Amino acid sequence: MDFSYTDEQLDLRDSIIKFSGQELNDDLAEHDKNGRFPMDKWKKCADMQIMALPFPEEYGGHGANFLTTVLSYNALAYACKDAGLVHAIGTQILCGFQILHFGSDRQKQDFLPLVCSGEKIFAQAITEPDSGSDALSMRTKAEKAADGRYVLNGTKMFITNGPIADVVVVFALTDPAKKTLGGISCFIVEKEFAGFGRSKPLEKMGLKTLQNGELVFEDCHVPPTHLLGREGQGALIFNESMELERCFLPAAHLGTMERVTEKCVRYVNERNAFGHTIGKFQAVAHKIAQMKVNIELGKLMLHKAAALKDQKKRASLEASIGKLFISECLKKTCLDAVQIHGGYGFMTEYEIERDLRDSIAATIYSGTSEMQYNMISKMMGL
Amino acid sequence: MENTKTEEIIREFITVNLLVEQKDLLFSDHESLIDSGIIDSFGIMALLGFLEEKFAIKVDGADLLPENFDSIITISSMVGQIVNRQSEA
Repeated sequence: MDFSYTDEQLDLRDSIIKFSGQELNDDLAEHDKNGRFPMDKWKKCADMQIMALPFPEEYGGHGANFLTTVLSYNALAYACKDAGLVHAIGTQILCGFQILHFGSDRQKQDFLPLVCSGEKIFAQAITEPDSGSDALSMRTKAEKAADGRYVLNGTKMFITNGPIADVVVVFALTDPAKKTLGGISCFIVEKEFAGFGRSKPLEKMGLKTLQNGELVFEDCHVPPTHLLGREGQGALIFNESMELERCFLPAAHLGTMERVTEKCVRYVNERNAFGHTIGKFQAVAHKIAQMKVNIELGKLMLHKAAALKDQKKRASLEASIGKLFISECLKKTCLDAVQIHGGYGFMTEYEIERDLRDSIAATIYSGTSEMQYNMISKMMGL
Repeated sequence: MENTKTEEIIREFITVNLLVEQKDLLFSDHESLIDSGIIDSFGIMALLGFLEEKFAIKVDGADLLPENFDSIITISSMVGQIVNRQSEA
């Protein structure tokens, strides 16, 4: 097995790190405190064509393979300290994948260029106030009217990019009588559609620059041209989407882990106590060594999953294992980083507490850690 | 590959891996696996991985339709169509 990266991948990684470090980190403390989305930074990322990476050139993309996209996303999160912005970009790309894999030619032509350019902000709406882990027990309905349009009624909750979304991929029940397989469909809803409402952003403990909110559909009419895939295909689209999401978003977690670990190494090699640098204490060194172990193991899992996707193979087990392991390690790394930095780790000025607050959601979204354990055990035949 | 052999292979996978506590459950090749609750959205994930590896096929978005996974017959038919399509490509 060859785990080396190509020169092109390394160049891309370096350029994204340089760009992110220079352009994406100023005003972050202010934005984090006020829960403000950095639209100017979003536009810079769009100009850098980060959102365009994995999509075909005919839609304004770069045609990069999945591993290259994962490596690039990892580089972005390594150098960009705004995990909320990074997550927003990840959501944009994931919505693009849904349209790429299940959209009609017309839908790809209409929407993928907007994904790539960042001109429109995309969101995906699955979670509801009463259905999170049990996502497919959703209640939002899409009833077909006499004129062929679908009328959506219901509420979606905690939707990433929701309050600022221009286009939303919405999952809704088209046949409540059927079980989940066959009863759920997927729609592309544009913010201009009558009956579509967005709440103001919800206040969160972390990822504060990321805009999450409630989406309300009240007799929202959606033309049949905006059905994504086939009617009844929603649960299968959901499965495929979740597998990709679990292969992709942890790349950002790893980037944060790498950055935080480096910060810890610098600190413990400078900070003195009891006559020498605190990095010489095993209690401290072992924590950082474990961070390194977790990063390297996480990378192997992430890369294996990405390689499988590039080979057009299924990676359900690898995606769940990778997401579970990496997200839990992210939280542990950030918590240990605060502890290692002592009083300074607790202060907002040192930014480590923000990384910790941002990390908490990682074991919740894309399927909680508990759900990943459930899936892994089922895939083992338990 | 003969259809009956494909169907047997699929049946065995479902019985061993998806009917963990109901291995003696009887169901026909035409019975709706979805309506009877034998296959749910998780079961499809596991089944897809098995089908792709066992029959060396790639199930694309266009094939990911609930009706293709409704019964052993329809699953077998889908596998056959993909095998033929791949061999012609």
